Amino acid sequence: MMSRTEEDFELELRSLPGVLNVGITKHANGDVDVVTLVANSKDPIATRSAASQIASLYYPEAAVVIEDANRALADHHRGEGPRVALIRADYDTSDGFCEVQLSVDGRTGIGRAGSGPLIGGAEATLAALRDLGYDVPYSLMTVTNVTNGRDWPVIVTLRSLANDADRFGIARSEDDLVSAVKATLDSLNRFLSTLEGRV
Amino acid sequence: MSSKNGSTAESAHQSGAEEDETEATLSSIHADVERSDVSGEDYEPWLFQTMLNELSERELGVGFIYAILELFAERHKLTDVAVVLVNDTFGTQMFRLGGEAVTPDMAAHLSASPGVYCEPDHVPSAECDAVRTACQLAMSLHLARFSAAHDPLTNIANRRSFDEALEVAAARSARYGWAFTLVLVDLNNFKAVNDRSGHEYGNHLLRQFGFALRQAVRQGDIAARIGGDEFAVILSNAEGHESSGFTERLRGHLVTLGNPVEFTIGTATSPRDSTDPGELLRLADGRLYEKKGIRIS
Repeated sequence: MMSRTEEDFELELRSLPGVLNVGITKHANGDVDVVTLVANSKDPIATRSAASQIASLYYPEAAVVIEDANRALADHHRGEGPRVALIRADYDTSDGFCEVQLSVDGRTGIGRAGSGPLIGGAEATLAALRDLGYDVPYSLMTVTNVTNGRDWPVIVTLRSLANDADRFGIARSEDDLVSAVKATLDSLNRFLSTLEGRV
Repeated sequence: MSSKNGSTAESAHQSGAEEDETEATLSSIHADVERSDVSGEDYEPWLFQTMLNELSERELGVGFIYAILELFAERHKLTDVAVVLVNDTFGTQMFRLGGEAVTPDMAAHLSASPGVYCEPDHVPSAECDAVRTACQLAMSLHLARFSAAHDPLTNIANRRSFDEALEVAAARSARYGWAFTLVLVDLNNFKAVNDRSGHEYGNHLLRQFGFALRQAVRQGDIAARIGGDEFAVILSNAEGHESSGFTERLRGHLVTLGNPVEFTIGTATSPRDSTDPGELLRLADGRLYEKKGIRIS
């Protein structure tokens, strides 16, 4: 193929509808690790799909994260810190283990846990947050799928290790695993945003 | 009046005077440049010099924007800097120091006017304007260069850059004997797909086909869209039989994408078949139509 340069890669990403900003973080060896797009897109899933296709041509190993520009702006107005974003969540049916990769401020953390997509997904999310350097003083109490079907919400309850109130999170996504991850992050949203010197 | 000898001495004297004068002029220009640099007026020598340095090595592109932001931050001891640009094709674009993604504290600038936003904010506005103009120029030039060489629908090479690449490959093949295979690809019954399902769906399939081509070629190969539903590939260092590997990869990627398009290929190999670009195209085209069962008069 012609010019597979990082500059052309960035130009292609910026040509996607609604993309306002491109951030590229690299490993120490120079390989691209995470590509973050800030987009004001009507269809973020389509933007992510197109960006992932482009990334697969230039840097197949790179993870692609889409940040909603309006949300970033809203976070700014609320005075919140960087937001934790889900990069990928995989479930290995052969051993029942989940692997979750999260990103914040261009850094990534990975967590693994067994016990299926619901409990495993929530546990792997807590492990990934700890891998990112967060001190999370909560343990998983329950993960409940509201009904046994696709596209139904998952509720996660975390119990405080310091006898504070329990935390609840709810999310609905394309599958149980992603719902469990997002519900866990939802339960910790306020805690993570207010944590001082958290990493 | 001076003698000839005298004139030599005089011209030596004059030469010395001219050197002094030149020295003084250079000093004066240098001082002007320094003054302009310090006061941050219209002309920014450091910016101009950086552009000249970049142009001596490569063309201006988005990489240059980050280089400028880096230098700008160093000059003014900035902890963060971002430039917001507006382009007819892209709309609003923000570039942040170090190629970092925008963080919530910088997000407000996403909806701000084009300009340079610094932390701390103590840089003269004229210098900020000059930086923004240079960044705007770099982005526009990069986009113009990319658009001139690529097909806008598929982002693979266009006919013009394909013709240039074929000329170069054929010339190298003639001179050094380096083999390459030209593959012409024609989509089967694509007009019927367009007529039946509409041009929007047709464009979707073409975009997917372009993506599958990009996946199927190796680093150093060229994939191009040379007509409505006609594509061409230059497989570097490849004899004719290696095109079957490429065809298999292409079919595999199309299946993965769920693209139902079928295609026919015709190939010609240089230097075995010819080293003339026109002849290679004619041969590959003839073989393609032969496979389709179409006779060319």
